[in-house]
Amino acid sequence: MTDSVTEKNDLALQESIPEGMAPLESIIYTEELNRRTWRAPDYEKENRALVKLVSALADSPATVLQTLAETIMDITQCDSAGLSLLTKDGKTPDVCGKRFYWPAITGMWKSHVGGGTPRNFGPCGDVLDRNCTLLFKHFERRYPYLMPVSPSAVECLLVPFYLGGKAVGTIWGMMHSDRRKFDAEDDRVMASLGKFASTAYQALMHIEDLKFQVSEREKAEAEVRKLASGLEAKVRRLVDANIIGIFIWNFDGRIVEANEAFLHMVEYENEELVSGGMRWTDLTPPEWRDRDAHAAAEAKENGAVQHYEKEFFRKDGTRVPVMIGAALFQDGGNEGVAFVIDLSEQKRAVQDWKEAQQALQVTQMELARVSRLTTMGEMAASIAHEVNQPLTAVTNNGNACLRLLANHNLEPDVLHRALEEIVADGTRASAIITRIRAFLKKKPAEKNALDMNEVIHETLALAGRELSGNRVKVELRLVPALPLVLADRIQLQQVLLNLIINAIEAMTGDDDQARVLHVESGTGESGEVLVAVRDMGTGLGSEPDRIFIPFYTTKTNGMGMGLSISRSLVEGHGGRLWAGPNSPRGSVFSFTLPVAAESFS
Amino acid sequence: MTGATSPPFVFVVDDDSSVRSSLKLLIGTVGLEVESFESTEEFLRRNLPDSPSCLVLDVRLRGISGLDFQRELAARNIRIPIIFITGHGDIPMSVRAMKGGAVEFLTKPFRDQDLLDAIRIALERDRINRHEEKELKEIQQRFDSLSLREREVTSMVVSGMLNKQIADALGTTENTVKVHRSRATEKMHAQSLADLVRMIEKLKDRRGQSL
Repeated sequence: MTDSVTEKNDLALQESIPEGMAPLESIIYTEELNRRTWRAPDYEKENRALVKLVSALADSPATVLQTLAETIMDITQCDSAGLSLLTKDGKTPDVCGKRFYWPAITGMWKSHVGGGTPRNFGPCGDVLDRNCTLLFKHFERRYPYLMPVSPSAVECLLVPFYLGGKAVGTIWGMMHSDRRKFDAEDDRVMASLGKFASTAYQALMHIEDLKFQVSEREKAEAEVRKLASGLEAKVRRLVDANIIGIFIWNFDGRIVEANEAFLHMVEYENEELVSGGMRWTDLTPPEWRDRDAHAAAEAKENGAVQHYEKEFFRKDGTRVPVMIGAALFQDGGNEGVAFVIDLSEQKRAVQDWKEAQQALQVTQMELARVSRLTTMGEMAASIAHEVNQPLTAVTNNGNACLRLLANHNLEPDVLHRALEEIVADGTRASAIITRIRAFLKKKPAEKNALDMNEVIHETLALAGRELSGNRVKVELRLVPALPLVLADRIQLQQVLLNLIINAIEAMTGDDDQARVLHVESGTGESGEVLVAVRDMGTGLGSEPDRIFIPFYTTKTNGMGMGLSISRSLVEGHGGRLWAGPNSPRGSVFSFTLPVAAESFS
Repeated sequence: MTGATSPPFVFVVDDDSSVRSSLKLLIGTVGLEVESFESTEEFLRRNLPDSPSCLVLDVRLRGISGLDFQRELAARNIRIPIIFITGHGDIPMSVRAMKGGAVEFLTKPFRDQDLLDAIRIALERDRINRHEEKELKEIQQRFDSLSLREREVTSMVVSGMLNKQIADALGTTENTVKVHRSRATEKMHAQSLADLVRMIEKLKDRRGQSL
């Protein structure tokens, strides 16, 4: 922004949209908010911010808007933040105002405080027209008077600001670089702070108004001065503003007085308070009484209580989470004031976020599980299909030749062509095999030093659904602090998952037997890491080694590839995989892996 | 030319050219006419002959699955018997194919005799189908030539009613019923009451019970 513009206190009074400017839809990106990664609500920080706003209101009401701007910048970590209010006279908020002015700005745009934008041609006006949050990117593309204002706004998030139920302005945060992008959590927290601040602002106006009326009357002037100073005045101001819950209490457990905001929180009527029926000790659930006792001791000692979180019972027995702080009116006295902020909404936001995270994690796990399960099967199936085509042609042509020979139908041309095709298809089959080998070689295992026990836990998590779905109990016997192995995590998971799924399938045939899966880890004779998977299933019969032959299967829906692939994966790591009978029944599959070199040192 | 005298046709649809040409040679060794196609679209463009035929169809084709094509043929009222061949079949797949009326479901590579047997069965089935279709068409033509009253009397006769009961139901005399009945039997070329009942049952089957 140039100096002349600042002096004029105005960016322009353009009322109409000049031709050739970017259309509104092309600078609005609000929908992106929800697509971006959503950071966790930091409600402790938010609470501290609310406390700061409350004390700003109590100590210096005039600066509450500036505090709001600073708070927004602090919480959203943006580069600039501020407020825009509609006004006619450049001072008082007015719904019918023709322009917005900026009463408070902080950050890189701080020097522009006092400036403003036209009502009908600017981002703030767009927000009021739509009455919702908007995210802009480079709004100067549409609003040319913002072009000279520096630094330019890469992103600007604007939230409507209400007074008395009417939108009279916006609160906004701005990024001047790509350092950080606004997300849905910024929208929520700004709306929340805005709501709080508008109540505060109204209370402020109300108090100013009251002060003015009182000063009219000489008689009251002295009292106003008295009221305007000291804790009691501050408290009275806060009590009347009803922004936060406030009650006067004593050490006997009584609530002497409470404001509407507090009564609303716990859903009691004023009559119930007046009749003397309310005790803060009764409103407190048993598990919070120790914390309260601690706070009471703190109050006696210091005259004040650092704010902390607790719960109150509502009248209907449900609980409301709150943050509470307190102070004695006099050191050593019996009475004090407590301020209470309702945390329900923030807790809910945290809960929503946690649930979203959890859902995401479940989906990711499911994806990982399915992909591990399918990779081997899919690869085997596609190899089978690829090789099957030329094999079919070879078989058909060979059979046709035999038939022609048997029929003494010896047309050399026909036989020649058939034999040529047999040779060509044989070559094609072997080319496919070569291609698969080359493909497998192209993807070398990504080897890292791994803790085998960790891999076992991960794989059991992947197999969780198969295990619980088949009512299989897992018993772990893992030797702690195993030496690390140098291996590809995904490949090891595939091997283990394959062994675990086999074990589950071996045990699901027989309903009478206990379905227990043992997974063990340890070290072998020469120090290598050893893993064993034991089942109580049907066992392997007389030729346990046959199961490692490719395409050998005992299952109705198996490919017969799992174990042979698993064995090559283990051997690829320099280990061994073998099977044997389990005692008293079932089978045990074991594999070893050499220890990573750095584990020795 | 129709029926047993026209030569049978075997159609092959497989997107692999080696498999296609080897099938052509193999099936040709038993003296059958074979035509092969790379895609189902190409097959659909061919006007099917009026002679017993069957289709050897690969399950995994480019663009469309053989199983879906089976349904498409049924929807187009093309009743050619199908023998499926597949590189990697599973049980649900074969169940679906067989439920859709397939003759056989063979996994590649298959025994040559299995395929040739399946083809023989498929062609026989198509021959019978065509024969029945032709007969049905003739019965239908004869039935269409009956007058409204003759049709009424016929349907009552085949449902087991006596002449007298029919006369009562239609409010006419037993003699009139007899005349209608003998004229209908003659027009239908029926040798006996049993013959007439058989013909009408066939028509009913075709039309889903009601006449």
